[in-house]
Amino acid sequence: MIKKVQELAKEYFVNEKVDVIFGLREKNNHVAPHIFKKVEELDNLVVSPKYPLLYNCRPSKKNIIRLIEEKYPNIKIGVIAKGCDKRALIELAKREQIDMKNIEILGVACSREEAIECRCPRPYPNNLLIGEKVEGVFEDKSVEDLLNKSLSERLAFWQYQLSKCIKCYGCRNACPLCFCQDCAMEQEEWSKTGEIPPEIPMFQFIRFYHLADRCIECGECEKACPMDIPLLTISKQVRRDVKELFNYESGLDIKQKSPLLTTLDETPMKEGVNK
Amino acid sequence: MMEYKNVLTVCPYCGCGCNFYLQVFDGELIGILPCKSHVVSQGKLCIKGWNATDFVVSKDRLTTPLIKKDGKFVEISWDKALNIVSEKFRKYSSDAVTVLSSAKCTNEENYLMMKFARAVLKTNSVDHCARLCHASTVVGLGKTFGSGAMTNSIGELENADCIFVIGSNTTEQHPLIARYIMRAKEKGAKLIVADPRLIPLTQFADYHLRQRPGTDVALLNGFMNVILNEGLEDKEFINKRTEGFEEVKEVVEKYNPEDVEKITDIPKELIIEAARIYAKAKSASIVYSMGITQHTTGVDNVVSCANLAMITGNVGRPSTGVNPLRGQSNVQGACDMGALPDVYSGYQSVSDENVRAKFKKIWNTELPLKTGLTIIEMINEAAKGNIKAMYIMGENPMLSDPDINHVKKALENLEFLVVQDMFLTETAQLADIILPAASYAEKDGTLTATDRRVQRIRKAIEPIGESKPDWQIICELARKMGTQGFEYSSPAEIMEEIALVTPIYGGIVYERIKVIGLQWPCPSKEHPGTPYLHKEKFSRGKGKFFGIEFKEAAELPDADYPFILTTGRIIFHYHTGTMTRRTEALNREVPIGYMEINFEDAKKLNIVDGEKVLVKSRRGEIEIKVLETGRVPEGVVFLPFHFAESPANALTNSAFDPVAKIPEYKVCAVRVEKKQKDITKI
Repeated sequence: MIKKVQELAKEYFVNEKVDVIFGLREKNNHVAPHIFKKVEELDNLVVSPKYPLLYNCRPSKKNIIRLIEEKYPNIKIGVIAKGCDKRALIELAKREQIDMKNIEILGVACSREEAIECRCPRPYPNNLLIGEKVEGVFEDKSVEDLLNKSLSERLAFWQYQLSKCIKCYGCRNACPLCFCQDCAMEQEEWSKTGEIPPEIPMFQFIRFYHLADRCIECGECEKACPMDIPLLTISKQVRRDVKELFNYESGLDIKQKSPLLTTLDETPMKEGVNK
Repeated sequence: MMEYKNVLTVCPYCGCGCNFYLQVFDGELIGILPCKSHVVSQGKLCIKGWNATDFVVSKDRLTTPLIKKDGKFVEISWDKALNIVSEKFRKYSSDAVTVLSSAKCTNEENYLMMKFARAVLKTNSVDHCARLCHASTVVGLGKTFGSGAMTNSIGELENADCIFVIGSNTTEQHPLIARYIMRAKEKGAKLIVADPRLIPLTQFADYHLRQRPGTDVALLNGFMNVILNEGLEDKEFINKRTEGFEEVKEVVEKYNPEDVEKITDIPKELIIEAARIYAKAKSASIVYSMGITQHTTGVDNVVSCANLAMITGNVGRPSTGVNPLRGQSNVQGACDMGALPDVYSGYQSVSDENVRAKFKKIWNTELPLKTGLTIIEMINEAAKGNIKAMYIMGENPMLSDPDINHVKKALENLEFLVVQDMFLTETAQLADIILPAASYAEKDGTLTATDRRVQRIRKAIEPIGESKPDWQIICELARKMGTQGFEYSSPAEIMEEIALVTPIYGGIVYERIKVIGLQWPCPSKEHPGTPYLHKEKFSRGKGKFFGIEFKEAAELPDADYPFILTTGRIIFHYHTGTMTRRTEALNREVPIGYMEINFEDAKKLNIVDGEKVLVKSRRGEIEIKVLETGRVPEGVVFLPFHFAESPANALTNSAFDPVAKIPEYKVCAVRVEKKQKDITKI
């Protein structure tokens, strides 16, 4: 499988379909995003569902593709994208955080086992080039368990979980879609600054509301949490609500505008674009 | 052509040793990525780690050497600056010069600094801020176990059956270690927290023992009293692995729970139940930090923790032990490297002739015999005029040391002060020459985390301005002074020398630690490192018990100064704030200092939340905003020490532990006064 990806990447280089390839590289047993510039480098290219590609750098709040596009507008970038990476790219493009015109997606599928591990409902990108589409995970045990509890039990559960928060902002920093210049989590009107745990539940929940139509269910927020707060469980429920209420799913189609950005006269609202 | 790279390195803040990637785009730092494959951090970080690039690119960075002329700093070339420093240093006798090394610098730099002190300046008076945090640990665990370091590994905490946290606000000071305590708790471990304050861990604790500050020995003796009384001790372990048990038995017999309640203010039932839980656990870990060490009885406190662990056989197995948490990225390493007045690297005594002969041979120079001065003694001697010159690397005693009015007088009394730092700190402002140092992001080297894990930091960007890595500055200065043996081409080469002369680091080479760190002792190139200490035998052979009697703190509250002041750190800031107060995300959380006071006390003093008050001790006074809270009990106030405009250490007592010479930051007496309105201004 990885050989096929490396070969495809090589072909993109050789046929000059792209100038660089953005993917994961393994070095000394550690994996991190990397810009491959030469065919010879591709031996260290890896694909792993454990590692996402897109982070918003801080303090700029821009992702690396955006930074490259701004500084090198003519570079063609190939992106080795898993399902979650692709959904992030679509959502970022939809919200004018990146421009897809210079991007070639090399779509890679994850295995059923990997999908189960990530609790991923869509373990493949919509323009799959390598691998086979496998079924995603639609029933999430943690969500079901919670929904079977009474409201007061659920409240107690979240109060306990959120009381562990140490306000690292890792959930936001690891999120590919948290690119706002002015982050609601930092604003005193939502939760008081300088305290741990931060105000329950507002500190985390203002983020979930804000991401209701953006979240792509990659689960990076939960994976970044030092206190193991089950944040993906909340995301899944919010995403499910948005789908039921508006028949909308983020990350699938660039042209599909978010219902939460639509006004009553049906002109889409313009989202704050980072300058 | 565009360049994007992710450089794996170690977080520059506390001793957890978390790794992350510095993201670099065309030579500029653009952010931080967590490292999911790292053994401790596992892709998670605290707020300080996530923001550890801000201060690196701060506009306040020192970019050229500076010299003070007519009270003002002016730029000077490296060559001239080093010439002046070397001429001055040559002028003074070896008894008149002292050196402060840095727990924020690499192992290689600390090794070079102690080599510089001993081989170039010919003095053993080299010390660093471990004196102010874990000097009691080095002494206390040294004499009981034979090794003054964390016995077990961070990750092992997750599998303990009982964790006893005493004097460590782990969540705020070592967030990624708190992660493993919380994971243990969620797996069913019992959590006992002894702390005068409510801290984030207390809400999850099975037992919160709220001792009066400074009464830890009594509490720990009380635990052992209960354990022996109920026959819960590990007799086999005591017989086979330890010595001196009768001595401790005799002492703790006197500390029955009723009497301990009177000393500590902890209800005796809680002491009895918590002691049982700790003793009955299959593997129980003690976790401690400054709440244990920063007392005039710091060594006594540490020894008492060791006594308790040995009496129950909780040493030498996974998920047990006595686990001091080191507060700085390389405070463990700075100690390991011998930036201490009585030992060379690897805790090899300066008074041991064989050791001295070994270093003399390898360094090819004469070495001083006399044990050097500790920080507090250096300051006292400088105040008296006996110390004429000081070389301070990456430390800020003007904010971190106790009784800073006295520190200021002492440093001003010096004839010549060199400060090597990234910023114009409160200490650097008093310097005659300032040498601009590069940050962790601009150099290679190794740091040793709290669980003895030696890991690599890697250069991500070029040094800012004309700043240089500390190791290069020390080497250049040594060469200026005409000393051989400072011709290293890289930190890796310095590590080769460290491994050669330091048995516990004998197997540490850069190639081996490129993937994963190694935990000392690692005596040979084939040795896999040591996740937990004292497995079959203690480092000193048998574990040694000491009977320890309870003693009160040096300064207790009285009618004039009725409150106990205790000091510490908060999660959003770090030490003297040189890094965190130059970080936007952290300043947004907590922009200025505050003092915690109990609601009832505030009511009695007629002061309200947010009001500015005067806090006075016998040594100084500060003005500070009040935070009314239940976090501190009545009669106790708490001050974070990060804030230069309201410095906690203007108030603290420099009285120190007689052996470890660590000052008593955790207890002194203060008075809180409502500010009188200035009528003339109305």
